[in-house]
Amino acid sequence: MAPRGHDLAAERSTEAGSFRDHDSRVLVTPDGVFRVLSRDGLEDWTALAASKLWRELCAEERVVATEPAAVDALPDVLPTEAAAALRHERVPFVSYPYEWPFSMLRDAALLQLDLNRRALREDLTLKDASPYNVQWRGAAPIFIDVGSFERLRPDEPWAGYRQFCMLYLYPLMLQAYRDLPYHALLRGSLDGIPPAYARAVLGSAGDRFRKGVFSNVLLHARMEDRYAAAEGGEVKRELRRAGFNKTLLDATLSKLESLVRRLEWRSGETAWTGYGEDNSYDAGAAARKAAFVRAAAGRRTGRLTWDLGCNDGTYARIAAEHAGTVVAVDADHATVDGLYRRLRDERRTDILPLVMSLTDPSPDLGWRGRERGSLERRGTPELVLCLALAHHVCITGNVPVRELLDWLRSLDATVVIEFPGREDPMVRRLLGGKRDGANPDYERAAFERALEERFLLDRSEAVTGTRTLYEARPRA
Amino acid sequence: MLAYLDPGTGSMLVQLIVGGFAAAGVAVKLYWRRLMRLLRIRKDEPELQPAEPDRDG
Repeated sequence: MAPRGHDLAAERSTEAGSFRDHDSRVLVTPDGVFRVLSRDGLEDWTALAASKLWRELCAEERVVATEPAAVDALPDVLPTEAAAALRHERVPFVSYPYEWPFSMLRDAALLQLDLNRRALREDLTLKDASPYNVQWRGAAPIFIDVGSFERLRPDEPWAGYRQFCMLYLYPLMLQAYRDLPYHALLRGSLDGIPPAYARAVLGSAGDRFRKGVFSNVLLHARMEDRYAAAEGGEVKRELRRAGFNKTLLDATLSKLESLVRRLEWRSGETAWTGYGEDNSYDAGAAARKAAFVRAAAGRRTGRLTWDLGCNDGTYARIAAEHAGTVVAVDADHATVDGLYRRLRDERRTDILPLVMSLTDPSPDLGWRGRERGSLERRGTPELVLCLALAHHVCITGNVPVRELLDWLRSLDATVVIEFPGREDPMVRRLLGGKRDGANPDYERAAFERALEERFLLDRSEAVTGTRTLYEARPRA
Repeated sequence: MLAYLDPGTGSMLVQLIVGGFAAAGVAVKLYWRRLMRLLRIRKDEPELQPAEPDRDG
């Protein structure tokens, strides 16, 4: 409970991603996360809070923990008058659908549909269907937008259907049916993939008979073209007169649920999926590396650790022994998907796996560049692991060694970094296609000099003949 | 109260197909009424106030 008399107006910083719903707006303050509700929003919340559904969802930990907040003055952050405030638990680390592997987006879609179907049974519904309303406690999805729940108008069609298609269904279909990763598409357009774009990819003869494509993609795109100029209110009235009802709404949700359940992505073998088992380390080297990471992680108990280039998550698991949350990032979609599925099956809530290339990380996006935050803006780690990563960033990505270290220094965290020298078999492979002498700054002595200019070296250890690990603290 | 999302006219209608068997009756009724209107057999009826949940508590 917020301290009585807490003044939200004084120290607020509105969460820029929450402005679209005019009945509910989120404020992040040093005291916690608050949600300001309009009069309508408050009535919807009251209906939800009194429902059996709410009690069940809280018990299942499927919704963000929420309580009424006692505040002195409600800030003027809504287009209408503010009526009440709620306080939410803080999500360990915010992530976005363009960073989630297939199975995460699929599980978020199933949560969205499940919540909506269960809400219908108590004459409630969800006013939208956005994966940005789902966040993660490790590999467990939680629904954070309590303001999405509203009292049901049973004769109205589902307002979230189009959004569900654009942000959940089409991305999943593109990956499952065409092996086309959706991350760049979702990052390129926060509203998602419009029906006409989905049709352009899935409209071919081979795909049009796949489950769900005809109605949700082809017909949807056609109807949208045809009714582009139509007045929505009239169609709504027609539907009402024709008897649109809750049963039909549930039928739509149920069909989508079985469709999403049947979508599967067979990622196959990529260069990295077998890396954990089949890499250049022998058992002794792997044990030395694990011990080095364990010692570094054990020196501090932090809130947040980043494992950059996490691969199969071996070292993220070690780091998680001493951190509240480990954000495990890798550019290889299939590897991260496999990691997520394993973590989910183990019910881990301390490791958040994300797909992202560090040479092209998630930027600030959306309205005024503030709706969705860059990776760094969402929380800074106390410890950063960069294992078997530097050569990919510096040689494949052509990032100068000093640039990489400047960026790591800017995080102001302890780093554990592995440097494979030019004689390392993997480095030779990466350099193989380039001219002799390419990436001349990628060289052990230069790396160590640049590291020590920016960090205080705590210790280093050779794990193999060609690879060295360093643990270093930022210089003041 | 207005919903903040525009459900999209085409998207509303396509739900009659996605809903499958349960939606078929409503779809038939909707298009039958449109046909009747087109043939001028039936006029548009005045809009009845929909049975909304009690907004004022």
